[in-house]
Amino acid sequence: MNRWIRELSVLGVLALLLAYLAWRAPAFFQLQPLLSLLAREAPSLVVACGVAMVILVRQIDISVGSQFSVCSVVAGVLAAAGWPLAAVVPVALLAGGSLGLVNGLLVAWLGLPSIVVTLATLVALRQGLNLVRQGEFVNLPERIQWLGLPQAQGQWLLITGAVALLALLAWGLRHLAVGRWVYAVGSDAEAARLAGIRPRVVTLATFVLMGALTGIAAVMNVVQSPQVQPLTGSGLELKAIAAAVVGGVAISGGRGTLWGVLAGLLLLACISPAMVHLRIDAYWEKAIQGLIILAAVMVEGVRQRRNHGR
Amino acid sequence: MDAESTRVSTPTVARASTWRRWLLRYEVLLLAVLVVEWLLFYHFGTTTNRRGVTVGFGTLDRQFDILRHSCEIGLLALALTPVILTGGIDLSVGSLLGLCAVVFGGLTHVLGLPLPVAAVVTLLVGAAAGGINAGLICQLRLPPLIVTLGTYSLFRGLAEAFTRGSVTYSDFPASFLTLGQGRWAGIPVQAWVFLIVAVGVWVWVHRTFSGRAFRVIGFSPEGARYAGVGVRGQLTAAYVAAGVIAALAALVYSSRLGQAKADAGLGYELFAITAVVLGGTSIFGGRGTVTGTLLGVAAIAVLKNGLATLPVVMRMNAAEELAGLLTGALLLAALAAGKLAERWRRSSAG
Amino acid sequence: MPLRFVASLLLVSLGASLGWGAADSKLMVALLPKSKGNAYFISCKAGSERAARDLGVELLFDGPVDSNAAKQNEIVENWITLGVDVIAVAAENREGISTALRKARSQGIQVVTFDADAMPDARSFFVNQATPQGIGEALMDEAARLCGGEGEFAIICATLTAGNQREWQREIERRRQDRYPGMKLVGVRPCDDLKDRAQSEATALMSAHPKLRLIMAICSPAVPGAAEAVKQAGKKGAVRVVGLGLPNENRRYVKEGVTDTVILWKTEDLGYLTVQAAVALARGELKPGASSFKAGSLGEFRVEGDNILLGKPFLFTRENIDQFDF
Repeated sequence: MNRWIRELSVLGVLALLLAYLAWRAPAFFQLQPLLSLLAREAPSLVVACGVAMVILVRQIDISVGSQFSVCSVVAGVLAAAGWPLAAVVPVALLAGGSLGLVNGLLVAWLGLPSIVVTLATLVALRQGLNLVRQGEFVNLPERIQWLGLPQAQGQWLLITGAVALLALLAWGLRHLAVGRWVYAVGSDAEAARLAGIRPRVVTLATFVLMGALTGIAAVMNVVQSPQVQPLTGSGLELKAIAAAVVGGVAISGGRGTLWGVLAGLLLLACISPAMVHLRIDAYWEKAIQGLIILAAVMVEGVRQRRNHGR
Repeated sequence: MDAESTRVSTPTVARASTWRRWLLRYEVLLLAVLVVEWLLFYHFGTTTNRRGVTVGFGTLDRQFDILRHSCEIGLLALALTPVILTGGIDLSVGSLLGLCAVVFGGLTHVLGLPLPVAAVVTLLVGAAAGGINAGLICQLRLPPLIVTLGTYSLFRGLAEAFTRGSVTYSDFPASFLTLGQGRWAGIPVQAWVFLIVAVGVWVWVHRTFSGRAFRVIGFSPEGARYAGVGVRGQLTAAYVAAGVIAALAALVYSSRLGQAKADAGLGYELFAITAVVLGGTSIFGGRGTVTGTLLGVAAIAVLKNGLATLPVVMRMNAAEELAGLLTGALLLAALAAGKLAERWRRSSAG
Repeated sequence: MPLRFVASLLLVSLGASLGWGAADSKLMVALLPKSKGNAYFISCKAGSERAARDLGVELLFDGPVDSNAAKQNEIVENWITLGVDVIAVAAENREGISTALRKARSQGIQVVTFDADAMPDARSFFVNQATPQGIGEALMDEAARLCGGEGEFAIICATLTAGNQREWQREIERRRQDRYPGMKLVGVRPCDDLKDRAQSEATALMSAHPKLRLIMAICSPAVPGAAEAVKQAGKKGAVRVVGLGLPNENRRYVKEGVTDTVILWKTEDLGYLTVQAAVALARGELKPGASSFKAGSLGEFRVEGDNILLGKPFLFTRENIDQFDF
């Protein structure tokens, strides 16, 4: 029980918010809008899982938003050129994976600080995309949307797909040797090395995996509307990092679970629609988001202090 | 690189190799990059227009413009240098700039306070905001990245909430506009402000006990505690100073544009961090110089403004995108070069 | 070593003085949009390029990627030092940009504004396509027409801080109070110029306000975003969509009947007219006090005071949208 306290406390806050909504604004709980909300957050969830794993190995990636845009535009352009979806998905995956590889090589092999490397790629990729597309939309063919399924089925498929992916990753982190390596490298790279793990390989693999997940997420976003805006995904890095941190992933590495990330993302995703339902002016939104992030980490800080005190 | 080289050098090192060491120092390399950049832009970015006037990069006006446009980001970079030296970070400085601009606008326009009073109160608000960061980081021992990610959102949010997003304070008196648009002794006024802050931060970081304490904390907070450094006090000072300097940058910004609005300084934190890191300060703390930060700011400012004066780039209409791309590339190249130089030095020493 | 350095410095300065120089004597016109990635200004650019070709002048078209007042100032100051002949600006911040524009005029550079005006003393003419009042009235009139004069509606804007967005909202509200007291504004949500976020916001608005009759999207990415949300909610026809946008981005929704009306000035004409006026001003053909102005292939335009009027906004609907491609 104590192991899951962090995840449960986030779920508790989420439950409180939902209970308040049920009391003040029951209209929040309608099937179609909720389904739509969750489907729209499904790509963010996949990205947040990737970012959380990078944080678990004690690195960070702030270039995900730009990676997401690049993958979306690549997927969109190919789909618009008449490629079948079965061919678009692997290419997007590959594009994301190779962007992750670049970050990973710079971080793992050259030993450069990840926050700076990904700061550079954040700016370079975003501006490069601006240079190429000049903000122009990509119009997609009709058959791409919802993978050719009816809308509700498509939404369910995306949501279950994202959660299944998360479950798979969470299971792997817990029960596979590779998963434990991630935690080991994140807690203490030197000790991990002495135990026969190769921290560099693990770090590199995590970055590549994150890129690939971003590629998948980009496709999951592209299939939800008939147009791709090159600006899509800007600011996603902050959302993903915030979700991971609110969900209890320690920024110092080695601690946290993907289920916590799910809880954190759900909480953050509900704020904006909740404010619409509660008739709160949009001007307060950023301030409230900031307060929630601070509150979540303060809980963590107080808890740690108490534990240290004992 | 500074601490590194001083630790390695011993009295027995021959004179010639001291020379080489000096040349291989990061700041010197960065200075060389800056000079090359400057000469290239001077060469390709200066033209005579059809009125027979020399225009472009090589003119004094242009150089002053670069100073004026990079002053706020330069101030934020100075503010961040001590913070990053301690191994911390402050993502909230750009948002705080926005909040302070709005506060200043509100104090002068809504409450009608006289300018000097409003300016002082604004600086105090900056200090208080820095104090919030410091309190969460030192008292609750929370990671700075996360705390300031939260306040990044919070400060910008408060700025938007105060103004309901829409209010723009303008019509500042001419005496205030001098700060951002006027000249003193032939040089833009904010350049003097920047100079004073730069000298102040340099002395603080390189000539006082605090400066050494920042580095020690950056190397090892635990070790600093054992060495008798008041870690909490020093960290608080660094974050509060960052808040005050961000507030000062807000005054300069409002004066330069003649307006104060909730979106002031949006995204500036990324530029400032880039400049500090390009200047050779380690993002993990413990290592770095104010001189490096100044060179980093200059390298980025010259690149950004210089590109915009190149006729080729102008005809491409893509100065901002190219500057972004090249800044990213320059940052990566500088980091990689620093890393390789360090490895090379180690292997030649061992 | 120092000698060689000085020598190379000398060489460089020599090169600079010979350098690029006054190679071409074409008139140089520089156009500054609020944000160059915005489809609205992209189509402005197409028109301005056509005018530049017609007139044989060189055209620079650069602006911030996002709407950013500080960057606009920097670009103008770059152009001043480059020594262009005319600058045409769509001002993001009226007071902020005026300082830079006055400086340009003091150095003999002609200044006109288009799309959004600066202070009157900072420019010679304003090519006025879209007074905020015009936009507000057109949007509100169309919304009221679609709703039959009463019902709830909501607005999706770009950001809470963008100047033009605020001004349009004020005009929309004024028109509503004057003419359509039966219409009720129930929410204003920002979308950060992101289509995806506009879609989420529209979804939330529809579920929070079951009686919502219409969504008004006043930044161009928000129009297709809102339309997609209405379509996915199965509320086509029940919740109407109007907005400011471009035909190409909205064509499929207009043809499906999800989006009723897309309102826009003929932005290509705006770009064309702006460059025509700028060049005429620089060549001394257009002088203060003129009462009309002939702009190449577009013909005569009325001049009122120092405003050159482009005329009424254009409503793209199902019937006419296929005649346009931009």
